[in-house]
Amino acid sequence: MKQDFTLEIMAENNFSILNRIVNVLNRRRVRIKKLMAHENEDDFRKGGAVLLIHTTPDLMEKVKHQLEKLIEVEYANYTPGSNQYMELSERIVDVD
Amino acid sequence: MDVLLTKSEKKEASPTQEKISGSQALLECLIAENVDTIFGYPGGAIMPVYDALYDYADRLSHILVRHEQGAIHAAQGFARVSGRPGIVFATSGPGATNLVTGLADALIDSTPLVCITGQVFAHLLGTDAFQEIDVVNTTIPVTKWNVQVTEAKDIASAVAKAFHIATTGRPGPVLIDITKNAQNELFEFAEYKKCTGIRTYRPKPTLQVTEVEAAAELINQAKKPYILAGQGILLSNASEELLAFSEKTGIPVASTLLGLGAFPTNHPNYVGYLGMHGNYAPNINTNECDVLIAIGMRFDDRVTGNVSKYAKQAKVIHIEIDKAEINKIIKADVAVHADAKEALTLLTSMAEPASHKSWIQSFRDLNKKEYDKVIYPEFNSTGEIKMAEVVNQLSQKTKGEAILVTDVGQHQMVASRYYEFKNPRTNVTSGGAGTMGFALPAAMGAKLAIPHKQVVAVIGDGGYQMTVQELGTIMQYKIPVKILVLNNNFLGMVRQWQQLFHAKRYSFTEMTNPNFVKIAEAYSIPARKVDQREDLSAALQEMLDSETSYFLEVVVGKEDNVFPMVPAGAGVSEIILEIPKPTNA
Repeated sequence: MKQDFTLEIMAENNFSILNRIVNVLNRRRVRIKKLMAHENEDDFRKGGAVLLIHTTPDLMEKVKHQLEKLIEVEYANYTPGSNQYMELSERIVDVD
Repeated sequence: MDVLLTKSEKKEASPTQEKISGSQALLECLIAENVDTIFGYPGGAIMPVYDALYDYADRLSHILVRHEQGAIHAAQGFARVSGRPGIVFATSGPGATNLVTGLADALIDSTPLVCITGQVFAHLLGTDAFQEIDVVNTTIPVTKWNVQVTEAKDIASAVAKAFHIATTGRPGPVLIDITKNAQNELFEFAEYKKCTGIRTYRPKPTLQVTEVEAAAELINQAKKPYILAGQGILLSNASEELLAFSEKTGIPVASTLLGLGAFPTNHPNYVGYLGMHGNYAPNINTNECDVLIAIGMRFDDRVTGNVSKYAKQAKVIHIEIDKAEINKIIKADVAVHADAKEALTLLTSMAEPASHKSWIQSFRDLNKKEYDKVIYPEFNSTGEIKMAEVVNQLSQKTKGEAILVTDVGQHQMVASRYYEFKNPRTNVTSGGAGTMGFALPAAMGAKLAIPHKQVVAVIGDGGYQMTVQELGTIMQYKIPVKILVLNNNFLGMVRQWQQLFHAKRYSFTEMTNPNFVKIAEAYSIPARKVDQREDLSAALQEMLDSETSYFLEVVVGKEDNVFPMVPAGAGVSEIILEIPKPTNA
């Protein structure tokens, strides 16, 4: 059964990192409902993305590991639902 | 500061180093990484590197291929047999995109490669300049990692990271795209430092003793345990550990396509080759075992067949270094996220000695059915020459000790079934990607990596013509590979499927082929064609005895099929030994 998940990814802020992340999701045909990417305020060499995605719990877990397989990705954590997305994205906007 | 100095004041001697170009720095880095062989093809955007290479001929051997795809497959062959990363040079645009197939092949088959592509000047990026293609974004899905370098000072760190990433954890291909200005730029090159770690990259998981204990507990209680050995065994150099584990526990071992060579095929515990065209018993007994121990393999769909019918009765232990592969296809009851060598060493110490003679005998009984129905008729045919008898003779004559490089299709499945591999890293084939055209250049690379070994490329007539231009490379560098083309004038595997599943509608699979012998001879390669059984043995011997490269074409049955076969959509235990007889329903 598909549902919303908030996916938080931290990574090295290299060129193409967003493409790498989106490629993994596209390849597994995971629907991206919202996406906010940012570089870290205190260190531009690091950054991250918060995504609201719609998929099954099984695929969510598999995609997490495929994302963490990317060399530049530090971690990919997810929580069910969209509340966390709102919180995290607002925090990013506040920082900016 | 210099302007403040007077003529009487001597400028303090600074540790200024001689400036070198980015291209020279690249070559120095490669030498520091113990590279001695490069497969490549020059072009506009990589000319500075090739200009620098002119002065490095005594330290770096460059093999000029005839197409970039040939370069990358050669590098794959080199890497697969040696365990060292294969190195590729190509120019921008089409030079780089011609690498894409090989990158995809190397990624899925876990082959370490470091590919260097030239790129247009940095100020031209994104302007649709001549031969400008966005190579980094094009190759993201087919590389383990890639990067673009636009300044000479960044070349060394990129190379160091590239080698670290390509060769650690689950190996794979990496690509460095270097703009032409960075290749030309002069800069002070500091000492090259190898990369030992990357903050966000954890290639080697820490072995969890509790996971191994859980695995040992299942194994010690099992009545019908069964090992599936994948390429991870070879990549972690764990063949001896696998042998020790199997011998102590008495557990039968089957091999995946890429795992062939990890366990000696003449060992009493070896029960065969897995998969769609694998042996009968290993497939049937997958659905009979009580504990399935998968080591360094990823449950490819050609191994599992229909996953909803795969080993449902068994507890599954999955030992795998790549965490994303665990639970991806088959749910593991016990997952051991670890390097195969480490895990097997500990597992063997925890496993109790055991014997499973009647269980192993069940494999023998099932394989006897395959022998009677498939193998015996193929070895004793009186009609057209069978692929199986050619490979069988080749196996006997080389004692299973040659490096066998296969392409993709019927001949590949037959070679994998009948060649009796004895040693690790002697089976080179395109597994996950199924790349036709792989074998000829891969065989060149394998031979250059291990010159003292007999290297035989077994290829179908279709795949051979996809990279046949590499005969030019073989001629130029006098690479003594043996080329054995099994010619059925068909794209045989597709034809087989058309026969079985598309009412024998042979849609564009029959091939009118050229005179292969004349083509080989045009490249100064001794060549022979055999279409009579009585000439086969002598011809194979002549090929193997040749001190130079040699081309042998064997004309085989035009509409022969490869059996056994797990039909598409079927479970592994639904494997068939012959074409099903029509029912009268």
